Amino acid sequence: MTRIQTKCFGEMSYSQDAVFEFPNGLLGFEDERLFVFLSQPATHPLMFMQSLTQASVCFVLLPILAVDPNYQLSLPPEDLEALRLPAGRQPRIGTEVLCAAMVCTGGENRPHPTVNLLSPIVLNLRERIGIQAIQTLSGYSHRHSLLALNPQPELASCS
Amino acid sequence: MLIMRRRAGESFLIGGEIEIEVLEVSGTRVKLGIVAPDAVQIQRKETQITRDENVSAAGSVHRDRIFSLLEKVALGSSLQTVKTLTAVSPLTPQDS
Repeated sequence: MTRIQTKCFGEMSYSQDAVFEFPNGLLGFEDERLFVFLSQPATHPLMFMQSLTQASVCFVLLPILAVDPNYQLSLPPEDLEALRLPAGRQPRIGTEVLCAAMVCTGGENRPHPTVNLLSPIVLNLRERIGIQAIQTLSGYSHRHSLLALNPQPELASCS
Repeated sequence: MLIMRRRAGESFLIGGEIEIEVLEVSGTRVKLGIVAPDAVQIQRKETQITRDENVSAAGSVHRDRIFSLLEKVALGSSLQTVKTLTAVSPLTPQDS
């Protein structure tokens, strides 16, 4: 077990097999290649994507299906290749890949929390590789309001 | 917005130094060739949007805001479902 300083939870330990590599980095954070994903009961269902190299770099994520149960992920061939997924078909969210949306809790001129559905984080759980997959033709918003997130009857019946 | 009709092989200029040529049109796709000075940054719009949004998102992560987010947003009601979804998508491969 190795210990890191996290942005939100102080010092934490993690095992090497919890580390995900982002071979392309992230737009705006091109030097950040290694992240660990943290979750804890008190902040469920949020996930924290903590950089291994800089404690100050941490993203808050929500499972994309929790925001939009009908979300359609469309990965172009180059993204499938980067994730080392089989070509020619889309991976299943939840089993083959974890797909999560970045949360912006608010900010200057932005009083309400939003999620970025345009550019989800997609993780290949087996290979421990991650990318940010921009959904160019999807029409999904990069500032989808979280306040509109209401309980969905069909969601409840799935559980 | 200025609207201009061009065919493949035709081009247009923005200012004196930027030239955009329509190279190929195929169905809903258009291939463009761009000639511009090195100082002019050219990128897809969604790339810029994603970069800005990443920076905003990272800057918005504070402990106190996280808990107010959990209170403000009706995530609690879909908690059970979210658990089900994440139960099959563990955070480490070791758990799978």
